[in-house]
Amino acid sequence: MMLLQVVLLVIKIVLLIAILMGGFAYTMLLERRLLGFFQLRLGPNRVGPGGFLQPIADGLKMVLKEDLMPDGADRFVYRLAPVIALFTALSVDAVIPFGAAIHIFGLTVYLDIANPSIGLLIAFAFSSLGVYGLVLGGWASQNKYSLLGGIRASAQIISYELAMGLAVMGVIMTTGTANLYKIVLYQQHHGWLWLPQIGAFIIYFITGIAETNRTPFDLPEAESELVAGYHTEYSGMRFASYYIAEYINMITVSGIAVTLFFGGWLGPWLPPIIWFFIKVAIFLFVFIWIRATLPRFRYDRLMNFGWKFLLPAALIYFLGTAVFVSGVL
Amino acid sequence: MIAFGILAIVALIGGIGVIVARQPVHSALFLIVNIVALAIFYIILSAEFLAAAQVIVYAGAIMVLFLFVVTLLTAGKDDEEAGEELSGQRITAGVLAILAGGGLAVVGVLYPSQRIQLGLPQNFGNLRGMGDVLWGPDFVYLAAVALMLLTAAVGIMVLNRPPRKKADPEARLKERES
Repeated sequence: MMLLQVVLLVIKIVLLIAILMGGFAYTMLLERRLLGFFQLRLGPNRVGPGGFLQPIADGLKMVLKEDLMPDGADRFVYRLAPVIALFTALSVDAVIPFGAAIHIFGLTVYLDIANPSIGLLIAFAFSSLGVYGLVLGGWASQNKYSLLGGIRASAQIISYELAMGLAVMGVIMTTGTANLYKIVLYQQHHGWLWLPQIGAFIIYFITGIAETNRTPFDLPEAESELVAGYHTEYSGMRFASYYIAEYINMITVSGIAVTLFFGGWLGPWLPPIIWFFIKVAIFLFVFIWIRATLPRFRYDRLMNFGWKFLLPAALIYFLGTAVFVSGVL
Repeated sequence: MIAFGILAIVALIGGIGVIVARQPVHSALFLIVNIVALAIFYIILSAEFLAAAQVIVYAGAIMVLFLFVVTLLTAGKDDEEAGEELSGQRITAGVLAILAGGGLAVVGVLYPSQRIQLGLPQNFGNLRGMGDVLWGPDFVYLAAVALMLLTAAVGIMVLNRPPRKKADPEARLKERES
């Protein structure tokens, strides 16, 4: 029995990583094709039918590229930083339930790797470590643009993490649990939470874009000011690690948004896991849509928006939810 | 027990690394290793909320601010050690360390401790347990600490506020001319 559990766990981990890597590859292709569509051009469509094999070609190119290291770089930290970025990005997804529990061979299989009673906080703990990848990468490169990118990343992510945490608190108070599986089960009985928590959802989504450094919050790698920000000096697979981490973070933010506000795997007719992926795909489309539409923030506006608007707004919504949940009203 | 041993070694390496490392950024990294090792200690004690809070607050927020400052101030990697500004620091520190360690040893021998209470209180360190402690009997202290920290934060903002800009443009012009 014990052995079976371990085998099951290993299978789940391998599957999760495979899904995330596949998700990364085709989110990137989707993004490039959609950006092409938004900008009235074609995008990559030469490799395979409709560009379907483009990610494989990109992967091969990345593997074969020379791995550069600047002369003055801090060698250990320079190598460590992309690993941290990728590792934290992958581990957050371990607590997200991809579907309802399945019963096979008399076994109940949960579609998440771990189901801790405070799953949401564990996810936050891992994702809060992701910023080290950017800061350390920027510092270790010993390049002024990289350093500025790393410093911007740390300031931005710290600022927006607060509002994000407050936005999520409303869900925890409403459902009375921080377990992601139970949050979905609550929504099965009481309806999806996006409507009662609409303010929290909007704040969560905005901060989610900022936390993943996507346009319009991509100041750490603003190419018109900082060359490529914290990953200016990286090439080959180390650069690819940063890239993969960014896209997987996008998938993670979408997955948590779906779990908290849009009923996770719930939905009629189709199997639960398909519903989950459909909802995540919709979120990913919105991410790409926003990137194609909005220009980048100016740095002071970014800070003002985070501290002077999002944080108070999240706090007010949080207090409102508290009043409502406690039954004072 | 094996897990405890390994973690203890990792935590010690982290702690020693903080003071031995030459680069401030490396010191910060060792401190993060130490913090994460402590978080895993909490998980072994099944205090999962404490563990998550430890990582979110210390590793995820405070150390990021540390790194922010450290990377900003030590932007150029300089392998050569700066000369000590105060002379005789090492000797003083060594003497003080020996005195403190000796004192602790004496106290330990004179007052052999009672057996440390084994077993943990109910709900130790999980969400409900922490909530009961913070919002139950200790709420007054929590509120007091929160007020104190808020006062400190506001105080720093007041002390560091930029000099007030002059509203009158003519006065500013005169000032520039003089």
